Parts: sequence; C-alpha cells; structure tokens
Amino acid sequence: MAKNSNKTEENRNKFINDIKQGKVWGSYDIAFNTVNLLKDVIVNGDWQTAQELMVLITAEGRKLTRSLPMQASVGNMVRRVLKIIREEYVATQQNKQEDVDAQESLHKIVTSEGDVVDDYSKLLPDLRSSIMEHIGEFEMELETSADNIAQQARQHIHSNEIIMTLGKSASVEAFLKKAATERKFEVIVAECAPFCRGHELAVSLGKSKIETTVIADSAIFAIMSRVNKVIIGTHTVMANGGLRAVCGSHIVALAAKHYSVPVIVLAPMYKLSPQYLCSYDQDAFNSFVSPEGVLKYSDGAILSKVHVYNPVFDYVPPELVTLFISNTGGHAPSYVYRLLSELYHPDDHDL
Amino acid sequence: MCVNEFCVPRTLKMKKKEIEEVFGGILENEQDVSAGMAAIRTLLNVLERDTSETVQELDSNLQAAVDAMKNTDYPVTAVASGCELFLRFITLAKLDTKTFGECKSIMLHRGQLFLKKLMEARGKVAKLASSFIVDGSRVLTHSKSRVVLHGMKEAARANKRFEVYITMSSPDNSGVEMRRLLEEENIPCTVILDSAIGYVMEQVDMVMVGAEGVVESGGIINKVGSYTMAVCAREMKKPFYVLTESFKFVRLYPLNQRDLPNEFKYTSSKLGRDLSKEHPLVDYTPPSYITLLFTDLGILTPSAVSDELIKLYL
Repeated sequence: MAKNSNKTEENRNKFINDIKQGKVWGSYDIAFNTVNLLKDVIVNGDWQTAQELMVLITAEGRKLTRSLPMQASVGNMVRRVLKIIREEYVATQQNKQEDVDAQESLHKIVTSEGDVVDDYSKLLPDLRSSIMEHIGEFEMELETSADNIAQQARQHIHSNEIIMTLGKSASVEAFLKKAATERKFEVIVAECAPFCRGHELAVSLGKSKIETTVIADSAIFAIMSRVNKVIIGTHTVMANGGLRAVCGSHIVALAAKHYSVPVIVLAPMYKLSPQYLCSYDQDAFNSFVSPEGVLKYSDGAILSKVHVYNPVFDYVPPELVTLFISNTGGHAPSYVYRLLSELYHPDDHDL
Repeated sequence: MCVNEFCVPRTLKMKKKEIEEVFGGILENEQDVSAGMAAIRTLLNVLERDTSETVQELDSNLQAAVDAMKNTDYPVTAVASGCELFLRFITLAKLDTKTFGECKSIMLHRGQLFLKKLMEARGKVAKLASSFIVDGSRVLTHSKSRVVLHGMKEAARANKRFEVYITMSSPDNSGVEMRRLLEEENIPCTVILDSAIGYVMEQVDMVMVGAEGVVESGGIINKVGSYTMAVCAREMKKPFYVLTESFKFVRLYPLNQRDLPNEFKYTSSKLGRDLSKEHPLVDYTPPSYITLLFTDLGILTPSAVSDELIKLYL
C-alpha cells in the first residue's frame, strides 16, 4: 500500500511540475491528466466505502488545487469525479438509476420530512468497478468535447461573414476549420501581444485556406465595426457566467458591445467553475508572468525606473457575452448556474 | 383583503386580538426576528392552539390569522410571502392523511421543521456574502437589514477590515439603528443622507442590501430608496448584491412601481386615506439592476430565482 501511495505522490508531483514548467499545456490536457491521477487514487487507494474514497479524492484535489490555483479545470475535474462517486454510490445502493438532485431548493425546504443524511458509508462491493465504468464514460465525453463543439460550427458561421477572434484557442481553431469545410468566410485575428499567439493561429488558418488577417490589439476597436461575429475561447467560465480569459478579451468584448456584435464563447463543460469573482485583488484570479515580452531586458537603464506588468487574464462580465457553446449545445450566460448545479454537488464547491 | 368586522364570528374576533398580540410580541421582544419569521411562528402558534375539528375550519382560522397580521403596522411583504408558503405547503398535508388528528400532527411537525430550516437560513446567507467582503472594501448598505448585519458581523469575525456606509433611510431613520448595531461589532461605519447616495457611490466598492420580498422576475421589494441606489450603482458600475432568505420569495410579477400591491406600500392604518398624499414604504428594484442574490439556496443570479419559484409552484 505504501508503495502505491508513494507512486501516486510521485505522479502528482510530476504533473504539478509539468504544468508549472509549461510542459503540459492547454486545459484539455490538464483536465485529462487530472482525471488520470484521480483514477489512480481510485484504483490503488486504500478505501472501503464511498465516504473513505471521497475523503481521499478531496485530499488529493486539495493538494492539486493548492499547488495549481490558476488551473480551474483541475478543481473542476476533482468535483466531477466526486459527483460521479456520489451518483454511483446512490445508484449501486438502490440498484437503480435515479436522479439525485442534491441542490438545495425552496421546494425541498417546504416539503421535506426531515433530513435524511446519507453519509456514504455503506459497504458496496461493486462500487469500484461501477465508478471506473462511469469515469470511463466521462473520459469519453472529455475526448469528444472539442469535436462536439466544432460540429456546431455550421449553425453559427454563415457564408461571407467576418469573424474576429483573439490569440489562439484550440477550440476556436477547430471550430473555424470545421466551418471552413463548408463555407467561405473571413477571419480577423487580434495578435494578443505580448505572447502573440494570434500569429500561430493565423498561420494555421491560412494553411487551411481560410482568408485570415492579423491585426494589432490596438486596432480591435477600429476593425470591430466591420465584424459580424466575435468567437473566442476562454480559460474558465465563472459561476455567474463571466469569463476568465486571455488578457485582451475584455477589450474585444467591450468593442463588440459598442457595435452590438454578438460574442460567442467556446467553452467545453470542464471549464465551468463554481468560482465567483469577489474582487479584482482576489487570490488566484490573475497571474502575472515575466514582463520580458512587454519590455525587453536588453532595454537596460529604463528597466529600473519603471514598473512593468504582464498579467495573463482578463475578467469579462457576463453581460458582455452573448452565447456559450459547450459540447452539449448553446447556453446563455444566465443559464450557467443551472449547468453548474447539474455538474457538481454543492458540498464539493469548496475543496 | 380586509376582514369585515361584522361577519367575523365572535370566537375569531377574540382570536384576532390575540394573534396581533403574539405577532407583535415576537417582533418587539426579539429584535433579531424578522417580520416574515414572526408571522410563520405566529401561524405555528395558532396551529398548536387551534381547537377546530375540521380541515376547513382550521384553514379559515389560519387564513384569518394571516389577515390579522397583514392588518398590523409591520412590514407586510415578508409576512405575505412567509404565510403563503406556510399555508400552501405546510398545510398541504391535509390531502394525504386519514384522520384530522393525524393531519394536524403532521402539519405541526412539518411546520417545526420548516421553521428550523428558516432559522439556519440567515447564517448560510451571511457566510456566502461575507466571502465577497475583502480587506479594504467599502460597502454601501441601505436602511436596516438583519441579514446584511449578520453578513457583516461574519466578515468582521473573519478579521476582515472594511468600512460601511449606511443611508439614514427616512422616514423611520432605521439607518441610525443599523449604525448602532454595527458599532457594537466595532465595524467602522458612516451614516449618510438618503440624498447623498450619488455622492458616496464613487467611493464604495459594492452595494449590499437586504430584501423584504423577492419577486418572480428576480427583482426585489425593499425599503424605499433601494431602487434609487440600484440605478445609481448601475450607472457607476458597482456591483449590487442582495442578501435574502429564500422564504421571502413571493409569487408576484410587478412590471413597475404601480404594480406593487397597496398593502405592501402603505401600512394598514394609512390604507383608507388618500394614498396619493402618502409616502410609499417600499419600492421595486427590477432584476436587471441586481448583480447577484445571496440566499440560503446558494448564490443565485436573478434569473435563477424564477427557476426556484417555478420548481416550487409547478
């Protein structure tokens, strides 16, 4: 047993280091690897009942989220797995599939006949296999999510439209390429300085024969009047339907609002986080990286005289978002709370 | 709505006074109890002491009690919503039991459970809201609200340093009372004039208000001046948070101020007079001005409130 737990710890540390060093990159890979780590805990961990397993997973999740506070998808995956365990426990125990709605509701308050608190402590022999099976299905969902989003491209991109996007998002790239197989349209890519990942996207789209124009971030507003639609990706969808997205997204969203251009955000379900933005100084909301891209170290003398910041994220309030497209379809920002209550158990919001 | 004095049976007339006394007694002796909660407790009290022998009689007695409470000079919105929930759901037990005695004991049991959950509600709301108060925040609040007070206490106990601005809130100047309560907790606060809302808005980080009632659209009914504050907060792009317990959800869909029932806007003693000359006591804040609602059901967007109410009254 001790050997197993050592191995789990080793895996976890490797995963954390890989993310910190940028070896594992992109929220899909992060989500996928998190699920694998948790699977390891379920298979090799020392547990008898669902309750013990949930304690193990929560502890593992806490270690991960403490070390990687910026990667919301890690926490999201931990919550999803916990929810799966809860569902499977109830299903195996009652030997039937039943929808367990754990969300507090006024209806429950007024009609309840006293609380029946289930502490998940019953011994269930088939639990391990049924949880693993369910997680298998969930992994399938993860794998196909990008594709599912891309499948909806046809409904949103029409012929001869001008689409604006910003930086590089894997979902947006797949979405645009899928649409290009059937329709002809034009894409304007804001480069998203200082990382300029927009250049990479432009090259990739160009190779797929999509008419692409790269613009500087400062030209976003000037160009917006000609744009029909803004399609962007995001890092996290917050609980109120706001976005934590790459820096510059707020500018795009505000310019779009000014010209009444619809803003479509591609967000697979694993990006939905039960987090709220309480204040802009909030811990773990933004991260500041090396300012090298803003002001080169070779600029010498001036460096000691000025402050240089290079934040990674922007908060985009929900009223600037028109539509979310997830692997399960399109949703308005005001509907995000509902999706959250379906995805996660309320007790798991704080790990 | 008003009970006609002449057709009320003698026994009930006695009761009416008694009910008013119980209801008023709770509100006066226990500062920490809101009108809605007091109403539910009064109804439970009526249910306990009731001697009627048929469901119909019990029903009409409870209804009479509700009317009696609505006729007092306490805020009626929360009373109305609390009582509606109580009458509809706690007494719903009558449909599926055999004897009247059985039925009554189930009602009492349910009622007590309901009350217990409601008592826990304020703590839950406070806990959610206190996480939004961070070090160095300046919060503007309106009038006196027990939930807001509770939330701020919670934040102060978590050693957060923040400052509160409270509107005086005429005509009853309840903001002064709110200041006293906050100062007891050593929370720095300033009372401002109602007309200074625009003046302080640029200095604050957020607005937190309570609510007397939350309507189906997700908007709120609250002490008059809340709407002014919400409009002002929207203009200056400050978040407008509402702290409220879920038993304040009411089935009402006002589109404007005029749609609010008169008994919500005026105390019962003023209802007979020329209302155009009277000051309304509450106003309606539409959902588009509300950023989030903190309730014991969790943090809700205004549109989630409709969802809750639909689930309830389906």
